[in-house]
Amino acid sequence: MRLLKDKHSSFIAAAALAALALGCTPTNPDSGNGNSTTTTTSTSGGAKRPATTAPGNKITGDTILIGLVASQNGDLRPWGVDSVNGAQLAVDEVNKAGGINGKKVELRIGDSASKPEQGKSACEKLISDGVVGVLGEVASGITAQMAQAAYEKGVPDIAIGATRVDLTDIGNNVFRVCYTDDFQGPVMANFAYKELGRRNMALMTDKKQPYSTGLSASFRDTFTKLGGKIVDEQFYESGQTQFTAQLTQLKAKNPDGIFCSGYFNEVGPIARQTREAGMTNDAVKLLGGDGWDSSQILETGGEAIIGGYFCNHYNGQEKRPEVQDFLSKWKEKYPSNPVPATTMGALAYDAAMLMCDALKRAKTPDSQGLRDAIADTENFKGVTGTITLKGNNGNPPKRAIVVELTKDGQRFAKAYEPSEVVR
Amino acid sequence: MKFWTTRIVSFIIGIGGCFVIDLLSHRFVGSYEQRLVVLAGLYVTLAVSLNLINGITGQFSIGHAAFYQIGAYTAGYVSRTYITMGGHNPPAIPWLLGMMVLGAIAASIAGFVVGLPSLRLRGDYLAIVTLGFGEIIRILVQNTDALGGSYALDKIPKIQPIWLVWLLAIVCIAVCRNLIKTARGLTFLAVREDEVASSAMGVDVTSVKVTAFIIGSAFAGAAGALLAHYEGLITPTTFTMDVSFIILTMVVLGGTGSITGSAVAAIFLSYLPEYLRGLKTSAGEPLVVSGAAVIAGLAAVVVGVAFIKRILDSGRGTPRSRALKYLGIAVGVVILEPIISFALHPIKPLSSMSIEAGQLRMVIFAATLIVLMLLRPEGVFAHHEFSWSWVRKLFGKRPVPQAEVAA
Amino acid sequence: MHLFPHLLAGLEFRTLPEQLVNGLFLGAIYALIALGYTMVYGVLRLINFAHGEVYMLGAYTALFVSYALGFGVGSTVTSSSVLNLLIMLLASMTVCSIVGVVIERFAYRPMRSHSRIASLITAIGVSLFLQYAGALFLPNSPPPSINEQVNPFRGSTQLTLVGPPASALQAIRDAKPAAEQATAAFNNYLKAHPTESEFNISPAGQPLRDAARTAEDKLESAEREVTGSGVTITIRYGELIIFITSLILMGILKYLVSNTRPGRAMRAVSHDFDSASLMGVNVNSIVTFTFIVGSALAGAGAMMQATFKGTPMTTFFGLLPGVKAFVAAVLGGIGNIPGAVLGGLLMGVAETLMIWLGYSRYADAIAFVVLIVVLLFRPEGLLGSAEVDKV
Repeated sequence: MRLLKDKHSSFIAAAALAALALGCTPTNPDSGNGNSTTTTTSTSGGAKRPATTAPGNKITGDTILIGLVASQNGDLRPWGVDSVNGAQLAVDEVNKAGGINGKKVELRIGDSASKPEQGKSACEKLISDGVVGVLGEVASGITAQMAQAAYEKGVPDIAIGATRVDLTDIGNNVFRVCYTDDFQGPVMANFAYKELGRRNMALMTDKKQPYSTGLSASFRDTFTKLGGKIVDEQFYESGQTQFTAQLTQLKAKNPDGIFCSGYFNEVGPIARQTREAGMTNDAVKLLGGDGWDSSQILETGGEAIIGGYFCNHYNGQEKRPEVQDFLSKWKEKYPSNPVPATTMGALAYDAAMLMCDALKRAKTPDSQGLRDAIADTENFKGVTGTITLKGNNGNPPKRAIVVELTKDGQRFAKAYEPSEVVR
Repeated sequence: MKFWTTRIVSFIIGIGGCFVIDLLSHRFVGSYEQRLVVLAGLYVTLAVSLNLINGITGQFSIGHAAFYQIGAYTAGYVSRTYITMGGHNPPAIPWLLGMMVLGAIAASIAGFVVGLPSLRLRGDYLAIVTLGFGEIIRILVQNTDALGGSYALDKIPKIQPIWLVWLLAIVCIAVCRNLIKTARGLTFLAVREDEVASSAMGVDVTSVKVTAFIIGSAFAGAAGALLAHYEGLITPTTFTMDVSFIILTMVVLGGTGSITGSAVAAIFLSYLPEYLRGLKTSAGEPLVVSGAAVIAGLAAVVVGVAFIKRILDSGRGTPRSRALKYLGIAVGVVILEPIISFALHPIKPLSSMSIEAGQLRMVIFAATLIVLMLLRPEGVFAHHEFSWSWVRKLFGKRPVPQAEVAA
Repeated sequence: MHLFPHLLAGLEFRTLPEQLVNGLFLGAIYALIALGYTMVYGVLRLINFAHGEVYMLGAYTALFVSYALGFGVGSTVTSSSVLNLLIMLLASMTVCSIVGVVIERFAYRPMRSHSRIASLITAIGVSLFLQYAGALFLPNSPPPSINEQVNPFRGSTQLTLVGPPASALQAIRDAKPAAEQATAAFNNYLKAHPTESEFNISPAGQPLRDAARTAEDKLESAEREVTGSGVTITIRYGELIIFITSLILMGILKYLVSNTRPGRAMRAVSHDFDSASLMGVNVNSIVTFTFIVGSALAGAGAMMQATFKGTPMTTFFGLLPGVKAFVAAVLGGIGNIPGAVLGGLLMGVAETLMIWLGYSRYADAIAFVVLIVVLLFRPEGLLGSAEVDKV
């Protein structure tokens, strides 16, 4: 018979503290190059997240095993396949360059089948196979489960695209390479209010996806704080094809923009049906989050989506060498999908690269050493921007860029540093 | 006297078994395998409790995940509010038992509500109502922010006794198994066989149907409470329609009405997808096959199943000659696979496509389901049950004459 | 808090006519898919869970045919014709019929002599199989969609019941020249300064940009005033085609069932399976015929949805429409052809009215609520006939 462990109550208290602290944590003004201020937050943040006490796995033999949990089956498959491709690309690159301290890296993949409890099983299976660190997941709900399993085993986890804010509070073994919902939503709200001059926005939310509901909520908060008005919010469920009734309701409320926080699968048809309802591209702007990013968005949205803006991690037109290198390597390795299908390709590549980089820096060849090395990451030059995890409680302060959709593809519109955004 | 001895001994063996399982899984295996043991136990409870509604009482319910969900969310919410948010620290196991009771009560109220339409509805109409009820519950939970909305109900305190999971399964099996041995329980079977006739014989059809729903859903609710405390975080996606279908599949695959069958099928079907995760080559690397090989494999299986089905249906031949034929078919399938694969090779997109075995696991799962149903439509165990007299027979002793109820 | 936001105060009666039309159009698709469920059920008493997957395969067929017609990714073909659409429609219907027949032959026919619940599990197995095996072989990462250029009927028309105020129309006319002028001036400036853009502007260009924005805002708000006011009904050409085609197909079905030999035989089989075979009806060929017709209708629905709505395709494409259509079939009385049509339309309208009431969160639940309520009062569905059966 086991009683409630003390670990729990401390975890709970820590979580409550974290929720309080989130409101007042100062955003890091010089995240890109600074490290003087980061040390102070690191000490205060160290107490915030419970530390893992489990030993984790050790590196034995000539190969280093790292795990990736991805949805190879189920409705999140497009993002899952992309994250597998991205991580595999990174691991192959590292191995081609001689591996890590002479050892080859092997990527083991666990299928989460788009379900949290299966993601947890997959993660536990990978850990029992001996991986020193895990990557993933793309979705917040699944990440919450698998990161918990990793926490209990003392294995570090780098989440790929999970933007939910409180995920990294699970433990000091959880990190991510993407920004969080409380940054992305405000970015788009600022952009809509200040740059596009929108005052009466409407929301279209996919109520089945936590990603979408979270993003809508943070957009709503900031937009109303800025002085704008959310005239209406309509809901749909992913998999639906007809949005005419929701759009008729929105039209009557006379919005000057619609924020569609869902994934691109539904955004395309929503855009088409919006235009057909008489709301023109100029008069009613469509905006969205990084769920829009896809090589297919222009196909699904057609002419209706042109002139829409969304928040992204990087942009294919950027001149940074990391981006161009990544895109050319991708094209070479996956000729049938010459560009990453979604933004998860680049994020998974970054996550895997970051883990390999940390493996090189690790002081001891085990999960504990890897965790410390990941936590000490500073100015890691990734495809999706510079990542500094040191002193940031697993949430790297990253730049977000707003991209405009034009006939010829995505066009860079504006970049936001974390300090520039009114929340 | 004999009746009670058998029951008491069985029950003690069952309870002892729970602790042995608990001990073994803590002592000898890692947490991944422990997790599989727990999930298998929960699925046994779910399948056996659905069997009470579907197989024993004959009420076609395909929304069992809803009761599971209600139990999980009720218990999870109360635990989270009282322990996590309230800061109380009650003794774990009694608290968990209380939560199981609470989950069971909540789910059985729902079961009562769903059971009511069954008074008027039959067959497929009842099925769609239960399915719809499940969806309504899921949509309501998904849109209630207090329950975590579409994300999850998180921060549920973790209490993870493996023995209790299996104890619930054993209790559920014991209740269902003994119910149909009582006079009251026989009315359940009577309702399944013929509603009109049984009501003519004085059976209170209404109360039987509603009781079946209440008992069945109560066990599902208790299982949900265990799940909530085992995982610490539950999401609406854990309780979608396909989970209901999987539970139903366990019941039918095991043999509708056979409790043994449900339990065995639950263990098998909950383990199969996890087993398929580990497909590896002999060198220990993940197995990768080409698209052509997959198609060829499926085609070969279709051919093999068609032949076996033909032999099964004809019903001729001695056991020995049939066994030889099956063996021949198995060898044939193995030979056929590479031939078809080679024939498909010139199709470029298929041969250049590499599929990791992990991606195939849901395909293999579905194919196994179809093949098993085609070969044994009455379920693997049909209407047979595990019993001690059967064990005796196995060891060559004469069976004790006992009035067996055809369940 | 979400359940009763502002019960009557928030109701927009202006949008009601348009919502009813939306509901009918939505319902037509449900009805089309529901027919497949109901016909198979009528003949075999089997819930064909794989019907949604047949629908999914129909959408993929339309996609591949559109590629074959030259409308692939990055295609530059801009003109299309009705002929292309007809080819896609026929291809989808044909492929779906074949798939339906194959499923029936290999998965359902061997089960026919066994319990119906066993066939049901086989159907679930086939459905899972098509979803997951399809995901391996069909393009779905990223989910492709049919190029909108293939559809010559894009856009919509407005039926105006009560026009927008004349002042608003006048405001558009007033604002237009100024906006065009200011935008042109700003664009000229941008052309002259290629390093700058709308969101990255030097102080020199700022006044020009602000002037353009102000003028555009004025025009846009006038335009919104017009679209948002008045009572109009938006008719999307695509949906109108879906609706009319569905009606035509249902008409053909009605003729097939009531006026032809196979149709009569089908009704006989549906009435009594065993007696029909005693009377010399070739039951197997009638079942095959049923699957051909039902699957073809699903194929038609899938092709039209995929083409006119531009929905991206994954192998779960048929899941939600499949379930809803199934509910529609039961609502109307499963096994009853006019019932399926009625059930589909009713569900479409119920869903839209729910959204009209302001509860779009619960729009998917309303289908099931309506179903349960209807079944409590009419256990055999709206138009179904009472019959005693067992599982």
